[in-house]
Order: sequence, then structure tokens, then C-alpha cells
Amino acid sequence: MLSLLNRPGSGVALLLAFYLFVAILFSTLSPWFLSFDNMMSIGANMAFIGLMCALQTPLIIAGGLDLSVAAVAGLSGVVVALLHAAGINIAVACLIALALGAAIGSLNGLLAVRLGLNPLIATMGTMSVIGGLALVLTGGLTKPLMNPGFNWIGSGRLLGLPVPLILMLLVYIALGWILARTRFGRFVYAAGSNPEASRLVGVPVERTLMTLYTLSGVSGAASGLILAAMLYAAAPDAAGQHLLTVIAAVILGGTSLFGGRGTIWGTLLAVLLLGTLNNGLTLMDVSSFWQDVTRGTVLLLAVGLDQIRTRATGA
Amino acid sequence: MGSIGKSFGTAQVLRNADLRLDAGEVLALLGANGAGKSTLMKILCGIYRRDSGSIQLDGQPVHFTRPEEAIAHGVRFLPQEVSILPDLSVAENILIADLPLKRTWHGREVDRATLNTKARELLDRLGCDLDPDQPLHQLSSPHKRLVEIARALAGRARVIVMDEPTAALAEREVQLLFDSIAKLKAQQIGIIYISHYLDEVFAIADRIAVLRDGVNAGHFDAATASRGEVLDAMLGTSVDQLYPPRGTNADEIVLDVASLSFPGALNDVSFSIHRGEILGVFGLLGSGIDQIGRAVYGALGPLPDSRITLNGAPYLPRDPQQGRDSGLGFVAAERQREGIIPDLSVAANITLPFIDRFAHFATLATQRENDHVQHWIDRLSIRALHRNQPLRLLSGGNQQKVCFARWLVEGLSVLILEEPTRGVDLGARQELYLALRQWTEQGLAVLLISSDAEEVAGVCDRSLVLDRGQVASYFKGGSSPAELLDASHFHQENHT
Repeated sequence: MLSLLNRPGSGVALLLAFYLFVAILFSTLSPWFLSFDNMMSIGANMAFIGLMCALQTPLIIAGGLDLSVAAVAGLSGVVVALLHAAGINIAVACLIALALGAAIGSLNGLLAVRLGLNPLIATMGTMSVIGGLALVLTGGLTKPLMNPGFNWIGSGRLLGLPVPLILMLLVYIALGWILARTRFGRFVYAAGSNPEASRLVGVPVERTLMTLYTLSGVSGAASGLILAAMLYAAAPDAAGQHLLTVIAAVILGGTSLFGGRGTIWGTLLAVLLLGTLNNGLTLMDVSSFWQDVTRGTVLLLAVGLDQIRTRATGA
Repeated sequence: MGSIGKSFGTAQVLRNADLRLDAGEVLALLGANGAGKSTLMKILCGIYRRDSGSIQLDGQPVHFTRPEEAIAHGVRFLPQEVSILPDLSVAENILIADLPLKRTWHGREVDRATLNTKARELLDRLGCDLDPDQPLHQLSSPHKRLVEIARALAGRARVIVMDEPTAALAEREVQLLFDSIAKLKAQQIGIIYISHYLDEVFAIADRIAVLRDGVNAGHFDAATASRGEVLDAMLGTSVDQLYPPRGTNADEIVLDVASLSFPGALNDVSFSIHRGEILGVFGLLGSGIDQIGRAVYGALGPLPDSRITLNGAPYLPRDPQQGRDSGLGFVAAERQREGIIPDLSVAANITLPFIDRFAHFATLATQRENDHVQHWIDRLSIRALHRNQPLRLLSGGNQQKVCFARWLVEGLSVLILEEPTRGVDLGARQELYLALRQWTEQGLAVLLISSDAEEVAGVCDRSLVLDRGQVASYFKGGSSPAELLDASHFHQENHT
């Protein structure tokens, strides 16, 4: 078992094996599981989480962390719903929400990068502020949001595929290319692996992190729009509960919390795995409370195995 | 230790290695990187298990499977990096494994009086008069080292293995350590001393054992052996000269520093470097050699009061990006902390500073990058399995070659090197010196900053000596290590 784990890239391989195991298990337990519609619904339901994971991955690789991303998603949905209710054009409202996400992301960057606060504490602070603001703005109530064009983003189909899934995959493809094949991608890994050495050879470490924090804010806002469009309503606390899933997926996908290591594809696989687990357990009528237990167990197992693997290879 | 063998996977690191240590003796263990020194010592100290062979302690066969067992038998390993608890006091650090306790009305607590008395006794055995109450983070590096040794004594150590104990020490501080080692010898404690510095080895050791490729390559009596013999045994081939011949200088000045100051470290320093020249800067710890290179490069931030001319144009240090873009290269002293990007591949590490040159619009030009990288891997004989191997998996010497290779691009004017061969084995050192000389012949100017007087004297065309932030003297043409040390006030400080 250990020698199998020693091979390079076995982290992702292990995740893939586990994913297939889960998929086969569920397909024998539930006749609906393997249907095209169910597969698409897994994708659509995970898309808004996957989007947040997509930007969180390079941020963590570069040595940052953004705990406020899910709260930004909540606020962004609320802002769009309120602006729309006030008669503002839905496209303009969406742009305002995205800009707000960018602004909050920059604020996180300012605190964590320029002022040098611990990102865990800094973004936990903004998370609390933003989550609170969303509740204040709505009085804690869910705001309906009906607009055919807007709702299409969340529940429409294009070429038979759910729109959110397409959006998410496009982001992953773009990021996969950026991380592997561009100068910026190099800077991301370099900054996370050894920021001081990177600075000394002229890598713009601070600017790289600022960009990633800002993009993380935007990803939160976009993800809030998709969620609101899916639900035909904006609930101030709808997205906040998914923060742990976002972080869990990134870590499960093999990204090191210490920075420097990780891939966007590992994250995508982890997102699909967590989505499949949720879906399968729901189909089998397992209570959502147990689903939390399962998700946590999978995360601990994966991280534990990875630790054993790292120690065995000494790498 | 007899016929010790050890393999990792398919790599056999040790074959039939023997070692004998007498009580009250200092045995120097020498060998190039990868010769098996560390592995042999880790087997002795129970960190690794041996595949074959035997170990006897006082005539009794022993087999340590965990470090705790070795410690219980009085065998101690002091690793290269000092392992201390910075916020605890000297006494607490020394007796951490066995803190004396006393009963009080609310339970047991540390008996500070006994603690300090015991620590005092142990420090006395080392001839060291530190205050037991002082927190460790206030101490200098050699004193931290001594605290570590005192901790070993507290565990009734009889064999102490020191892995490059002077790597982070300036020469003046080394003496402090040597005095204590002499005291330990007198107390019948055996010491195995691993070092790259031949001078040190001849100064402190009674006998010298050399390992090469996992087998014994020679045993020498330190009193009678010559440096040449020992070097030959270490490197296998005969090393006539570690340092390459000197070059001929052009007259053209590349970098002219008319005035450079940095608060608390440098005070109105001036010097100039010609094309194709290696200018050495020698100094002791705290003389300003830690700052001079990075101040010019821009790593210390903007220095608007400096007067520097680079390639005939005024140059103000601002930040590393500006230094790099102006034609300066910089290799920092602390390789692990400031040099390597451990998770990036060898290739990505090499192309990182000038990544723009390997980009085609937004995309990296893989082929051009690979060609460039392969060229330098071959030229510098960087030993890596593949250019895409993460840099953290390479040995120290090869990592340093990568840190050099980063800067070897068209258009670099001055390469600034801090302690370029610290912790680098002799073979790789020789290769680096030779490569440096070749580049200077092509017009590169090098500023070589080092606290190793031998290195500065051996490699540099001209040199200057820093003392307390000022230039103490210039040497045109060659200099000897003794002259450099003299100029650095090394002797004066020792006698006052």
C-alpha cells in the first residue's frame, strides 16, 4: 500500500480512484444516479462552489487565504436583488455586484499583503463584516429575484448543459492555462513557495497576491449571482455555510496550505467528488446532517493519507 | 562502527564504512556532499537503521533504533541548525529534558535555584560564563551552540557528533567553540566533527577520517597529514588547485560606488569594479558585509543618498526589480531562506528572474526555456534527475549552481555574490570558481562578498576589507588570508 502511495502524482490518482469508487457505489445503490440528468444536476449544483474554489486555489498556492469569499457571495446576491427591486437594470446591478466583490477582494489584499496581517484573521474579519452587512441590508429576510435573463445564468441550459457548469468549466480551463503556461502562473507558485527568495530575484510578490485577492472577491460575487439566479431569490446567509466546502475542496485537491504546491485540476476533481457524495447521499435519503459528517471524514482521510505519503517519500 | 552499509531505495549510500573514536579525542569526518557522512552519523545516533555492519560502544555491541536510545547511551547528535527554544532561559534550555522540580502548596513547579546551579556547573565545564537566566534569543550564535553542547552534557553525553558547527559563525566566534571543545576533550568526551573547512579541521582534530562514495577513503593523523593528501582522499582525483588562475582586467569601470551608506551598517563606503574582474569584499560578522551587496542591489530599499554609477549612468538602488533591470544579479547568503524556490522545478528556478525573455506574448515559450535551462545544466554540471525535478530535492551544492545559473543571461553587468560557497562541498566549489572565472573572461564583473578569508584571497583579483561599516583597506592585486584578517581587526579584537 505504501509503495503504491509513493509514486509521484499519486495524490490525484488516489482522489480519482476514490471518486470512481463512490460513483460505482452510488450507481449500484440508486438507479437514478448514473442518469444524464442527475450528472448534470451534480454539476449545476456544485458550480457556484466550484467557482469560488477555482480562484481560492491559486490564492492558497501563492501563500494567501480568503475566508470571506462565501460571505461575499451572500452579499452579492442580496445587492443584486435589492438593486433590481429598486428598478435598476439587471445587467447594471450584476456589474455593481461584481465591482463590489473586486473592492472587497482588494480590501482583503490591502489588509493581508500591504499591512501584513495574518490572512486567516484579516479575511475572517471581513467575512464577519460582510456577512453582517448582508443581514442588515435585508433584515435577515430572503429577497425574491425574478428576471428571465438573469435566472437563465443559474438554471438555463446551453447545448443541453447547465449554464453554471459551463461557466465554471470555462474558468477552470482558463486558470489551468494561466497557472501552467504563463508568467503570472510562475509568479503564483514562486510567491507561495518562497516569497523572500522570489522578491530578491524581482518577482512582484505583493502585486501577484493583490491580484489574486481581488479575483477571489470577484469569484465570490459571481458565485453569489449564480446561486441567486438558481434559487430565484437571494438569501443573505445562503452561501456562507459553503465556506468550509470551498476550503475542503482546495485542500482535498492536493493544494498545500503552506503554499507553493497544488493544481487547479486537483481542485476540480475534489469539487466533483464532494458534489457526487452530496448527491448520492441525498438520493439515498441520508439526512443532510450526516452529509456534513461524511464530508469531514473524507477530508480528514484524504489529508491524512497525503501526510503519510509525504513522510514516506520525505519529499 | 564496522562495515556499515545502508541503501535508500536503489541508491547505496554506505558500503563497508568503518569508524573508530577514542575517549577524549576529536575525530574530523570529511567527505564531499553525498559521500555518506551524514548517513553514517545518523545511523550512529539512531535516526536511521543500518542495513549491515555493527556498532560497539565501550566494547559492547549496540543497536539504536530510535534517537532516544542513542541519547540514553550518551551518544548525542548536534545538527547543523541550532535547535534551541528561543523564549526559554539558558538554564531551561540546558536542562529541558530533566527539569528539577520542587513541591509547593499548589503542586510541583520548577525549582529555579537548583536549575540555575546545575546549569552553572555544566556551563563551567565548557569554560563559559553565561547568565543562566538570560533568554536564549538574546544570545549570539556561538553561545547558542554552547548551550546546545551543555544540554548534551546534561544528558551525560560521552560521544558528541557535531555537524558543521561553525557554518553560521564568524571566525572570531569559532575560537569560542574550539575552547569549549578542548575542555570537553579533557573530560574524556569523544567528539566527531563534520566540517567543510580544512583550516578548522587541522586546528581542532586529532585524527581525520575521510569518506568517499560510502567507503573509507583515508585515515590521517592531523599533526602529520598535509592538506593536499586530505583533499586528494576526499575528491578522488588529485586537486592541485581549488582556485582557478587569476584573469587579466580591462580598465573599463562597470560599477562605481562613490558613496554608499546604510544606517547602522555602512558608512560612506566607496569602491569600483572593472569589466571582467572579481572584486572581493572580506569582513567579519557585523562589519557590514551582510549589507553591502544587497544595499547596491536594492534589496534594502531605496537609498537616495548613495552615489553610484552603473555602466556610465547614475544608478539609485530602489528594489530588486530595479537592480535586476539595471543589469545587476544577486545571490543571497542564506540559500534556503533567500535563494531557492523549493517547489519550483530546476528549470523554472533558473528562468525566474528573466522569465520575460522566455515569454511569447502571454505564453511561455517552452522550447526556448528548455534549451536555455539544459545549456546551463550541462555547463555547470548541475546534478538533477531531470530539469523538471523540484529544486528542493537537489543537494546544497547543486542548488547553489542553480542560484548562479539564474543570472547568466545576455546583458548582465555585475553579479553580486554573498557567501557564494557556504555549505557547498569542495567539488562543487571548484566548479563554481572555475565557472566564475570563465564568465569574467567574457566581460562579467563580480562582487564576491565573503567571511571566508581563504576564499577571498584565493579567487579575487582585488579585494577590500570592511570593518565596522567602513573600508579598512584595499588590496590591489593579490592578498593572503592573513593580510585580510589583519586588516579586519581580527587580531586586535581577540586581544582586547
